[in-house]
Amino acid sequence: MVEIALGTALAAIGAGMAVGFAGLGSGLGQGIAAAGSVGAVAEDEDMFARGIIFTALPETQAIYGFLIAILIMVFTIMAGKVLPASLGLVAIGAGAAIGFAGLGSGMGQGITASSAVGAVVENEDMFARGIIFTALSETQAIYGFLIAILLMVFGGILG
Amino acid sequence: MAEDITTLVTGLGFPSMEAFLAVMFLILAIFGLIVVVSTIKPVLSMFPYTYPNARVRARMGRIFSEKQFSEIIESGNLEEVKNYLRGYPDYAKYIDQYPLEKALDIQLAENYDLVARISPENSRDSFKFLLKKWDIRNLKSIIIAKEAGLSAEETMDLVVPFGELTDKLDALIDADNINEVINTLEGTEYPQIMEDAIPIYQETGMLLPLESSLDKYLLENLLRTVATPEDDNTSYLKNYVGDLVDSTNLKIILRAKVDGLKYEDIEPYMISDGYQIREWKLKDLMEAEDVSGVVSGLEGTDYSTLLSDAMADYNDSGSISAFETALDNHVDDTAQKISLKNQFGIGPMIGFLSRKEREIKNLKIIARGKREEGFSPAQIKEMLL
Repeated sequence: MVEIALGTALAAIGAGMAVGFAGLGSGLGQGIAAAGSVGAVAEDEDMFARGIIFTALPETQAIYGFLIAILIMVFTIMAGKVLPASLGLVAIGAGAAIGFAGLGSGMGQGITASSAVGAVVENEDMFARGIIFTALSETQAIYGFLIAILLMVFGGILG
Repeated sequence: MAEDITTLVTGLGFPSMEAFLAVMFLILAIFGLIVVVSTIKPVLSMFPYTYPNARVRARMGRIFSEKQFSEIIESGNLEEVKNYLRGYPDYAKYIDQYPLEKALDIQLAENYDLVARISPENSRDSFKFLLKKWDIRNLKSIIIAKEAGLSAEETMDLVVPFGELTDKLDALIDADNINEVINTLEGTEYPQIMEDAIPIYQETGMLLPLESSLDKYLLENLLRTVATPEDDNTSYLKNYVGDLVDSTNLKIILRAKVDGLKYEDIEPYMISDGYQIREWKLKDLMEAEDVSGVVSGLEGTDYSTLLSDAMADYNDSGSISAFETALDNHVDDTAQKISLKNQFGIGPMIGFLSRKEREIKNLKIIARGKREEGFSPAQIKEMLL
């Protein structure tokens, strides 16, 4: 059996949280946006491209989570060094930051995107404004992403 | 640094760093679970409505605007109205197939059918039951046509091929008289619903008992489908259906007052439970001396102001249509308020059906205005709802 240091195990949890929770929020958000887009396309085939754009927006949270998870793994688990528990805790902090921020942001963005699809299919002129409203929920994920990066830089993982 | 943490952990009473981390992990897992569940729960309640709402909002966007209505009103004649509607795929598919009014009704019925098919499970029963509206409408039309001695072809123009009685429509239209219509309906719930009203209608020629018995069946059972709301969405639906029930009861009472009927005459056709206006209040209202007594008896309810405002029109014209319009507008307002308040739930569906009904009613008013000589565009515009 492979011996895994406590710090490495904690870093693995951090990486899992980053991609897991962010992916959950992103998936739910994208599901909601996609359901709305399918409804819009069923009524108006020209909505396909715009529906795809709104459905793709909540994807970003999963990407942020994925990036943080990759960074954690590359600089801890895959680096092959024995990681102290304190660094493992920093990794959990970073994972939680992007994970929970991505969860809320992804779901919020999905709801707004679905509503925006409804508004655009009702009135084409709403497209740009719909995009702006939908993009607003992105900020929470960006905060989570920035804090995760800062935690890793100043917590010693990326240092 | 690591030593500091270890000192802190042991200072907190944990035997080892591993024990501390295990507790921390457990706390984090519980916290995460609470966050996930509490965040996801409201989102999941919205999820079933996203698809149907996108579809109805697409159709909402195709409802004619004031400008489009003005263009239709400016049409020179009925053929130009039809030509205008041919430019819109929703109407084009029916315009050349059926007479104009029937085409409009079919378009409306198609929308009711769509909403019943795509609405989420917790409200589907109500919307499906609402489809019986078309059966009831068809039955009323067929019975009136039989009494008026219309031919099968003329009767066919009055019925809308939607609802549960579609298979029986041909036989109903071919029936020679009302008794044969009732016989054809054997096996459905309708003979029983109409058994008391048909003799009165045949004896007096009054349509009120007949229409009211069918309307009562529809609304009473519709109210039953929303009797115990499971969530906000079904509560809003109950609110809407409740307003429909109250406004129907008030219309019956006002018509009865004008026709000089007693409470006993119309009691069988009232939706006794009511919603805001309960049974005892309905009885009180019926005991009022005249129409103005009914209106003042509504003091303290939502209906007081709107019917008082319509009173002046009633006094001028002597027609209760002013009250009927005010009550219809109130139901529309309720639908629009629900549509705004509950945008991620059932709101858009209720708002859409209400607006679509209004659009079709207005198109029918325009069609009638164009068919009958002597109505100027300005007069037609004034008649619109």
